[in-house]
Amino acid sequence: MTVTTKKEAKPRRTERTPRAVKVGLAAGTFFVLFAFAFPVAYVLNTALKSQQDYFSNISGLTTTFAFSNFLDAFAQVDFGRYLLNSAGYTLTAATIGTALSLLVAFPISRRLMRGSAVWNGVFVLMLFLPITLVAQYQMLIQLGLYNSPIGYGLLLTASVGISPLLITGYLRSIPLEMDESAALDGVGYFRYLFTFIVRLAMPALVTAFILQALASWNEVILATVILAERQYYPAAVGLLAFSTQYAVNWPLLSAATIIVALPIIVLYASLQRYFIGGALNGAFKG
Amino acid sequence: MAKNILGYRASPSLGFVPAFAFIGFFALLPAVATFVLSFTDSTGSRGIPVNFIGIDNYLRFFESTGSNRISNALGNTLVFAILTTILINVFAFLIAVLLNRQNKFAVLTRSVVFLPTVLGVAVVGMIWTLFFNPLGGPAQSFLGIFGTQSAFLGDQSIAFGLVIFVNLWMYVGYSVIIYTAGLQAVPADLYEAAEIDGANWAQRTRLITLPMIAPAVTTNVLISIIGSLQSYQLIFVLTGAANPATSVLALELYRIAFGSGGTIPQQGLASAISMVQFVMIGVIAITLFIILRRREEQL
Repeated sequence: MTVTTKKEAKPRRTERTPRAVKVGLAAGTFFVLFAFAFPVAYVLNTALKSQQDYFSNISGLTTTFAFSNFLDAFAQVDFGRYLLNSAGYTLTAATIGTALSLLVAFPISRRLMRGSAVWNGVFVLMLFLPITLVAQYQMLIQLGLYNSPIGYGLLLTASVGISPLLITGYLRSIPLEMDESAALDGVGYFRYLFTFIVRLAMPALVTAFILQALASWNEVILATVILAERQYYPAAVGLLAFSTQYAVNWPLLSAATIIVALPIIVLYASLQRYFIGGALNGAFKG
Repeated sequence: MAKNILGYRASPSLGFVPAFAFIGFFALLPAVATFVLSFTDSTGSRGIPVNFIGIDNYLRFFESTGSNRISNALGNTLVFAILTTILINVFAFLIAVLLNRQNKFAVLTRSVVFLPTVLGVAVVGMIWTLFFNPLGGPAQSFLGIFGTQSAFLGDQSIAFGLVIFVNLWMYVGYSVIIYTAGLQAVPADLYEAAEIDGANWAQRTRLITLPMIAPAVTTNVLISIIGSLQSYQLIFVLTGAANPATSVLALELYRIAFGSGGTIPQQGLASAISMVQFVMIGVIAITLFIILRRREEQL
């Protein structure tokens, strides 16, 4: 009796992960990895080719390791300025935007405002607004902020997206006793908010910051509409303008693409859990 | 003045009101303005008087005939959204199941699959423009093996398909993350019990995995349908706004509002397109939400 059950149990155990399935899973995983890494790797490879190397051997691996493409991108098209612009827009919008989100989120989470539930609804509604490109464009013209980095920065800053909801949700998990003991110690509202709460809510604030920074760094349409002069372009739009101008110099174009992508890749590699946390939060709140 | 638990009673409002006013002014007010503009013949240029023209812009939208660029864009939008939603969900589910293991190789692959969603439309657009370079990109080399060639994004008959493909490549990682979170929440003993009962892979997927991740399916379907009905930035980068073959509503809105090739901008009409699209997305999203929730309860 015992022998037969053992015999029955044995094939089942091997059935759970037979060798063929293991190989299949590994092959499938490799195929997926290849499908997503290859296009990026191709661009990196092209970026390292000289113009001659590219045309003599289009699909082969680079032999020249021509880092000069990266230097050319800075020298020929002022990519340094575009990157500085982007850094300015991104850091300003994400920092102020996250601070504004905290200022609206805390009173909502503590029901300090009348009709807190309604406010929450307002921020949900704001995620599903119509495309306001035209109205925002006309608004900036009226304000005298068309073709102004300030005007563009203001629009990016106000695009807080999911942040108020995300921070409100997180603040609810911070016990009210914290507020009370701070009040007993005579800590004022704003000092409490920007020292104690900022520290306690750091994971949510970092996620909110990253989401808005990413959206700002990658924004192209508003910039195309609002900014008329190249000197104000963010890097993403600089890259597109560059591509229409230097359409034949593929290695240089590849290098420029890598330059714009690199800051995001570095940030993503080091802060991945916040990126993924942000995606999940956005999904389940949205 | 009375104090609340954190100082003066007015303090929270002192922070809330200016912050909300700022966000409201630049993000909420333009939505209201879009509604108002949709009833005007605004061109957006200074010095040209703006008149209220009632619902003329909306009539122009709905009167459009087969040759009309707006109805063409509307058709493209629906095709784009339906195909994208189906493809993203099928591929995301398969990839999530494939990578639902804790070994390093699977975890690394999941990170790489998510990478395009953070790279942004300009970078992803450039990557695939380079890839589909008709003058000798890897796609052309691949076709060369079979002795054929293509203009890729420059070919009117396949450009739209390629745009849908690149969009899938860019955004599938987002849905993979959501399905992965759903899969990891399924208790492992359910599978063990099913295995003891002799259920095979297909049966386990149909009877355990799918019902257990039904909420993730609802989320993913809604996100991809709303996202793809609004999406136009990637197409803008890949083929520009002037190409009717790949034009979607939002892109047509952009072309009408900001002109291409010397046409007078019609920002009132563009605002009407924006409002119609807004209502359309609302109706589709709410209907789908109700249907999917009912399905969830049945499972």
